[in-house]
Amino acid sequence: MASQATSRIRNFSIIAHIDHGKSTLADRLLELTGTVSARDLTEQMLDTMDLERERGITIKAQAVRMTYQAKDGQTYEFNLIDTPGHVDFAYEVSRALAACEGALLVVDASQGIEAQTLANVYKALELGLEIVPVVNKIDLPQADPELVREEIARVIGIPAERSILASARTGEGVDRILEAVVTALPAPGGDPEAPLQALIFDCKYDAYRGVVVYVRVVEGRLQPGTQIRMMASQGTFTVDEVGIFRPAMVAVGELTAGEVGYLIASIRNVRDSKVGDTITEVFRPTKEPLPGYRQVSPMVWAGLFPVDGDDYPGLKEALDRLQLNDAALTFEPETSAALGFGFRCGFLGLLHMEIVQERLEREFQLNLITTAPSVAYRVTLRNGQAVEIDNPDQLPEVGLIETIAEPRVKLEIVLPREHLGGIMELCQDRRGEFVQLEYQPPGERALLTYDLPLGEIIHDFYDQLKSRSRGYASMDYQLTGYRAEQLVKLDVLVAGAKVDALSIIVHRQQSSNQGRKLVQRLREVIPRQLFEVAIQAAIGGKVIARETVPALRKDVLAKCYGGDITRKRKLLEKQREGKQRMKRVGSVEIPQEAFMAVLSLDR
Amino acid sequence: MARNLYLHIPFCDTRCPYCDFAIHIGGDHLHQAYVEAVIRELEFLAAGGRPEDGLDTVYLGGGTPGLLAPSLLEQLLAAVVQRFGIAQGAEITIEANPTGLTEELARTWLDLGINRLSLGVQSLDDRALRWLGRNHDSETAAAALDAAIRAGLENISCDLIYAVPVQPTSVFATGLQRLLGSSPQHVSCYELTVEPATPLARSVAKRLVSAPRERDFLEQHRLAREILEQAGLRQYEVSNYARPGHESRHNLSYWQGRHYLAAGCGAHGFVDLAAAGGLRLPIDVGAVGVRYWNLRSAATYVKQVDALGHGRKGHEAIDCAQAELERLACGLRLRTGVELNVPGQLKQAERLAQLGLLTIAGQRVVATPRGFEVLDRLTLELVSGEPVRALA
Repeated sequence: MASQATSRIRNFSIIAHIDHGKSTLADRLLELTGTVSARDLTEQMLDTMDLERERGITIKAQAVRMTYQAKDGQTYEFNLIDTPGHVDFAYEVSRALAACEGALLVVDASQGIEAQTLANVYKALELGLEIVPVVNKIDLPQADPELVREEIARVIGIPAERSILASARTGEGVDRILEAVVTALPAPGGDPEAPLQALIFDCKYDAYRGVVVYVRVVEGRLQPGTQIRMMASQGTFTVDEVGIFRPAMVAVGELTAGEVGYLIASIRNVRDSKVGDTITEVFRPTKEPLPGYRQVSPMVWAGLFPVDGDDYPGLKEALDRLQLNDAALTFEPETSAALGFGFRCGFLGLLHMEIVQERLEREFQLNLITTAPSVAYRVTLRNGQAVEIDNPDQLPEVGLIETIAEPRVKLEIVLPREHLGGIMELCQDRRGEFVQLEYQPPGERALLTYDLPLGEIIHDFYDQLKSRSRGYASMDYQLTGYRAEQLVKLDVLVAGAKVDALSIIVHRQQSSNQGRKLVQRLREVIPRQLFEVAIQAAIGGKVIARETVPALRKDVLAKCYGGDITRKRKLLEKQREGKQRMKRVGSVEIPQEAFMAVLSLDR
Repeated sequence: MARNLYLHIPFCDTRCPYCDFAIHIGGDHLHQAYVEAVIRELEFLAAGGRPEDGLDTVYLGGGTPGLLAPSLLEQLLAAVVQRFGIAQGAEITIEANPTGLTEELARTWLDLGINRLSLGVQSLDDRALRWLGRNHDSETAAAALDAAIRAGLENISCDLIYAVPVQPTSVFATGLQRLLGSSPQHVSCYELTVEPATPLARSVAKRLVSAPRERDFLEQHRLAREILEQAGLRQYEVSNYARPGHESRHNLSYWQGRHYLAAGCGAHGFVDLAAAGGLRLPIDVGAVGVRYWNLRSAATYVKQVDALGHGRKGHEAIDCAQAELERLACGLRLRTGVELNVPGQLKQAERLAQLGLLTIAGQRVVATPRGFEVLDRLTLELVSGEPVRALA
């Protein structure tokens, strides 16, 4: 029950598919509430990283407090929590949603609801959030707002007339959205006098101030000087400062039940401030932590190696720095016979991996080789011992293995029904087991559910899904468990030597096909060398496929006369730069693409 | 002190579509002014020092220096003698095209002290010559060569271009045999390269003509080596063949990393630090020498020499690492090979020797015929045996 103090607070987030206009709507809300003047408004205000703006994605959650003068004459305090939208960050999204009482569901008037949006809406409904649907982009010529309204009514059960028609771009309908936040979304409950109970929904590392913890106070109050305990990670700290986001950080005297803001407490490591953890007071603790916390663990692993071995310390330092701000990133030293010293890194998913890789190269000027991503396998040995491996090369000898189990996921795909055939074929090819198919009348869209191995999804599944549905299909998945399968390790030999970093684990039935495709692909990406290079795929020492990169035939500038030796030298220097982007494995130079070749096998 | 001098004479009757040298079409009226400018630049270059025993080589390259009137050549060479002196037994080369080369003209050159001719034969197939845009045919080429021999020139080099798309290997071979019938002392065999921004590059891009094929390159390169070596012309550099004692001393000075002076538009010189001071070139700490290059346009060159006394456009201080890369890149082009000084290089060399690309004798490595075909990569492989940082 909302108390007097909290009755004029509204905490909400925006659920939307990529490109459906979330960031534009957030910009518009900031502008109309006067939080940010139109003059200071940069596009996609809440996506602060360059990468976020470039790729149109949100990686870190953001919060902003707005003040809104409603038609009822009262002034309300809005806290908008912007969440990452990608499936890799599903847990972070669920915690950000848990910090809210309501959500705006933004759907593109010409596209309809996408799979990931749906997954997030279900998550919000499970958490008891009130949903206000917004049909956005109604100014576009191909918009069909009524159809989308009906779809929302059918799929989520919110009457069509409650969906607000709007265009964040032109500003149409945005006033109605603001009013709906006041009237349709509940105020938070909570008792300021109860023992402290605050939810961590994100944090960031600030070089000067340490960790800035994003919190939603559920019960009690947070003030400078409060001695706090993180209930899951067990750390205790003294609060130095509490404040709110406008959107810059502004210190306040206290944060009380129902409010959203930040705290700073000389926390050195983001690992001490785990997303989903509950903060309470050391001397007057709450009995129960808030529900829903779980330890975030990586889903995919890949090796990162510096092309130039001298960059190894630099890579370590860069990973340390990134980890300050990214609790989901894990890494430990790895040594590859082929690639030398590097790190085995764990990521939430492929996007997370790409982001980390890109930031390492961009922000730290590192030249890296990334190996193909792998999932973690659970191996049971004949002697009963169980081991988990996240690197195919670590697979014990075949003779010792009783079973190999791989992680499986429940995969949900939303797609236009005309693409159903192609997508089902894709799922079957990827060893998927059909679970169910639901049509959403009037029969335009299908919700397809499959049970399939996670390992199949991380290898070029998403791109295939997009290309087979002309971009219309969207997906979401959750880990469901492990299952033993007929899995084998496929090794790759280049010029007769096994390249450990190229090993992959595949299903026995697909092994010869995959092996053949892999060596074909490698032949395309490995440049000609001074000698003929054999590329072989082998299982347990038995070669199952072979290709040959013919020797370089000619590479000489026949003309080198006149005194312009400078030009000749510069040509060589340029060629050398190209060579330096490759990794020498034995006597063969292998470019980065080769290590990712397994990702683009046309199956 | 540089004992080699390159003089660039840019004048040509026509532009060959594959050529990317600094040339000037026509412009007979410019000849006198141009030669005077080069003479002034020689005066400027003399400030860098005068070799004790005079120059060992003088190379009149182009363009087509053979187009210059003998009187202008005489003035030019007189200036060279005045400023630098010419050593006993020096090699003095002139480049010329077959068109207009008579026995009488060749004799005049001999009288001027020119003792080596580099003749732009390019091909002895009329179809190939037309494709190359040359203004001579095979008969003219053969006649010019014979005229030069009759005139008494005893050191003649012929330039040939191979991998011309319209010239099959058999035709190339026949032409080469025919050329050998006249027993030239030296043959330069260059593959046709499509240089950027040439008319040929534009034609290839527009698919008006086909690009040279890799298969032809290798086939004709190998065939040329076989035929020429059999005829007693040794491959002393990737593209150059000579009877023993007739190797181009001037070109060897480039490949062996020696210093050389240069005058004329588009010319490149390489001088030691002592000379660089005299030539008003900045001296970088740690540099082992300075390379400079002149303006490419003949007309602009003449104007700048008039104003500043030299035609320089740019320069580059060569540091140890750059010098080392050049030493390897050029040295490996030679039959005599190159000495390796870095342990890492020797280790790489052993690997490359196992691949049949090099032979090693002590510290010295020599590319095998197969090694010559992939020489650029070979050079980079050798260099990669050194710490990269030292070279970056």
